[in-house]
Amino acid sequence: HVRYRMEASCLELALEGERLCKAGDCHAGVSFFEAAVQVGTEDLKTLSAIYSQLGNAYFYLHEYNRALEYHHHDLTLARTIGDRLGEAKASGNLGNTLKVLGNFDEAVVCCDRHLEISRELYDKVGEARALYNLGNVYHSKGKSLACTGTRDPGEFPEEVKIALQKAVDYYEANLLIVTDLGDRAAQGRAYGNLGNTHYLLGNFRKAVMSHEQRLLIAREFGDRSAERRAYSNLGNAFIFLGEFEMAAEYYKRTLQLARQLKDRAVEAQSCYSLGNTYTLLQDYEKAIDYHLKHLVIARELNDRVGEGRACWSLGNAYTALGNHDQAMHFAEKHLDISRELGDRNGELTAQLNLSDLQMVLGLSYSTNTSVLSEIQDTDTSVPGARPKLSRRRSMENLELVKLTPEKVQHWN
Amino acid sequence: SSLMNRQTGEIQSKAVPSKQILHSDDIEMEPETMETKSVTDYFNKMHMGSLVYACKRKNK
Repeated sequence: HVRYRMEASCLELALEGERLCKAGDCHAGVSFFEAAVQVGTEDLKTLSAIYSQLGNAYFYLHEYNRALEYHHHDLTLARTIGDRLGEAKASGNLGNTLKVLGNFDEAVVCCDRHLEISRELYDKVGEARALYNLGNVYHSKGKSLACTGTRDPGEFPEEVKIALQKAVDYYEANLLIVTDLGDRAAQGRAYGNLGNTHYLLGNFRKAVMSHEQRLLIAREFGDRSAERRAYSNLGNAFIFLGEFEMAAEYYKRTLQLARQLKDRAVEAQSCYSLGNTYTLLQDYEKAIDYHLKHLVIARELNDRVGEGRACWSLGNAYTALGNHDQAMHFAEKHLDISRELGDRNGELTAQLNLSDLQMVLGLSYSTNTSVLSEIQDTDTSVPGARPKLSRRRSMENLELVKLTPEKVQHWN
Repeated sequence: SSLMNRQTGEIQSKAVPSKQILHSDDIEMEPETMETKSVTDYFNKMHMGSLVYACKRKNK
């Protein structure tokens, strides 16, 4: 009798956890699942489902070590009870989690297992998903290897290209199946990531073709976030094709959607990209306009890295226009921010720019004189100026800051 | 010095940035797909199973 009550309560707690996660409240969902685990159950299939969902909830909450722990429990359990489909799923989830944690080799082993079992069970959907996951692992591996140097896409070392080519192969294998299955949403995802991989490999035409397909599918679904992503990725590819006007058009659409979706960080990124594009088009007035918009949002978001970049870009654009006073102002700000962030490269660039500008202005000028500190003093009196030691949130960390709604959809 | 040799023209050309400033890492990826297990599905199946069982017994 007591056992029956215990089982019922575990199930009720788990069902409530499931409901909450589906509604997008993973935080609350986790508490219910944890409580269900505490109560416990002798039904191992129920327990496996609870572990799996706890793992996914922690994944969406970006608590990857916890996610790893629960997906591992799930895998062990699925193997113990001889649940092949359950083992495949747990392996896939474990693979995705290991990928995010940067453990690519183990991730490949897990995703391979997902693929192998899916094929064994003639589970086409599972097979396609495993192929997509493998593509993602190789893409991330390639990107992480590439990150050690700052090169333009297409100019990476051999090991990077090998990993990225594998990603292409997996995405294409995935596309064959999901096209056959008529799964448009899955096609959209594969095209997006395939496009990004081609972009990194320097196959910019192919990247454009993939992102155009992605765009088409995003519109079919009325998925505006995916549409915005496609515009932004298309803009990037056209930059490297040297078609700057096209790039500007796509970045403008990105900006428009970012504003509609009220995503300030993406809006800032679009302005920055537009500023750079107009610089490449040598339309410096427009470049300045967009870089100033970017600067405003970077300040609003306390993004010192973004602010530094904006200042550097503005310095360059004003220099190109021959407005050396403004150029000097922003070069000084860039120097200031680079020092604060301990960015040695930025600091050296800024110093070089400053000495060049000083020569143009014919000034004898030292960055250590009171002129700089004077400028700093006036700046702190500007309304809305940030305290110097404000919390930094760089544009590079945006990936982590992005919230879950889009991902939570996959619960449903 | 080399600094003295730099001319205004060079400053102008420097203002045209390398494509690198666009940071190749700003590409936007599609979301991951996680595999899902559900207590609800399992619960429903269990119920369906026992209902079918009950019906069969009735028919006997």
